Amino acid sequence: MALDADDLRLAADRARDAAAAAHDELNAADGRLGDGDTGVMLKRLFAAIAEAAPADERDVSKLFQAFAKACAASTGSSLGTLVTVAMMTLAKATRGRETVPVAELAGLLAAVRDQMMARGGAQLGDKSVVDALDAVARSLDGVTDGAAARAAARAAAIAALDEFRGRENRLGRARMFGARTKGLDDPGMLAFARLLDAVIV
Amino acid sequence: MKKLMNAPDAFVDEMLDGLVAAHPALAREARVIRLAAPARKGKVGIVSGGGSGHLPLFTGYVGRGLLDACAIGDVFAGPSVDACEQAIRAADGGRGVLRLYGNYGGDRMNFDLAGEMVEIDDIETTTVLGTDDIASAAPAESGKRRGVAGIIYAYKIAGAKADAGADLAEVTATAQAAVDACRTIGVALSPCQIPGAAAPTFAIGADEIEMGMGIHGEPGIWRDKLRSADDVADEMVKRLLADPVKHASDRVSVLVNSLGATPLEELFIVYRRVARQLTKNGLTIVRPLVGHYVTSMEMAGLSISLIHLDAAREALLAAPAECPFWRV
Repeated sequence: MALDADDLRLAADRARDAAAAAHDELNAADGRLGDGDTGVMLKRLFAAIAEAAPADERDVSKLFQAFAKACAASTGSSLGTLVTVAMMTLAKATRGRETVPVAELAGLLAAVRDQMMARGGAQLGDKSVVDALDAVARSLDGVTDGAAARAAARAAAIAALDEFRGRENRLGRARMFGARTKGLDDPGMLAFARLLDAVIV
Repeated sequence: MKKLMNAPDAFVDEMLDGLVAAHPALAREARVIRLAAPARKGKVGIVSGGGSGHLPLFTGYVGRGLLDACAIGDVFAGPSVDACEQAIRAADGGRGVLRLYGNYGGDRMNFDLAGEMVEIDDIETTTVLGTDDIASAAPAESGKRRGVAGIIYAYKIAGAKADAGADLAEVTATAQAAVDACRTIGVALSPCQIPGAAAPTFAIGADEIEMGMGIHGEPGIWRDKLRSADDVADEMVKRLLADPVKHASDRVSVLVNSLGATPLEELFIVYRRVARQLTKNGLTIVRPLVGHYVTSMEMAGLSISLIHLDAAREALLAAPAECPFWRV
């Protein structure tokens, strides 16, 4: 079981639709911690990503590169830039490839997690998108079958939300809300769960 | 909240169009505002950037003796990596570029990535982060503090240093010392709203004030019934003076800054008390600033910034400079 460029194009379209569908929910989640614009930002960002997918490209890395470029041009939000970092990491890791076996997903997501931590300064346990990514990467360890990977990833993203909901945010603007963040989903983790759910249908 | 605009998605771009139309010394390239004149050869460039919604910050401080270029994002969102890269290139006069901006996660990532991209073309960059908001983290964690109004002192002082022909290391050290010598605290009386958002950035009672609130509605130190201007000013000054500062001096400049909706009348009422308290504490005030320097759209409230001056910083603060919102 492996993913190819057509799978990626389809995933980009689904992510665009999922971001649009989650617009209000993510704005509301972010609004409890201030701005209230995470939904607006991700809707715009994933529309730009889907738009940027080259139609005939077979090289998976080139698709990720195009996604990264679209991100770098269209967002400056911290969560948006983490998406840029993810796309750049995936582009580098898949250079010259036309397929990515499911068995490699765990390693790729772990690389994305590590790059996000290096760039954004998050630690595991800070209650950020990095924790959601970490949970999903670990859930895919040793999984080679597509259906099994989908089930594991989906369950891990939801479990991460449940695990962290009662904790305090320790990073960025959310950090400033301290104990008031207990009981709230982190908007980045929530967005990750919603997008993942759509992308892996 | 009522806003005069055409569409939320057009808010930032139309604002920037208007800014450069009104100020021909500035030019716009996508989400970058730069001096219309090309970068001066042999001068260290200074760039800044951040989210929209804080005018005159950030783009309004592009000018001679201040910033050379500025990358600007959506309202309260960082500038894109592309905009940061473009701003650095626009500011490059061949002697390197200082990136001088507030300590926010997105801005840091974007300017860092942009710095790596211009490295390929041998443009040397350095970074100094504004960290003046004393309410945003304890003194022991001052590196985590967020950058607010005090950064304009760093713009002015580092800008004058670059204008005088200093090299990148000297300009960087001067900017860092200006940040280290500066402290800010704010109070909020009412919120603002991001264009297109469903609700204001925070809720606060009609008769309440929050001490220490950040410029995006980040929670502060306490919230209570509104108090008199003198009581509020006294507590703000007390907190500023109690915070340990590098490069302490008995000569200071002070900025009493409106967050947007608070009028000059109220700023002067507060300044009158601030000046009295600083003088009582044995400090001499140099070049005070009172007005709208760093805002959050229609947010009501104000911030007070205090910068300790040595002879060098005082001279740099007095050096000629000109941008749309500040002339020395």
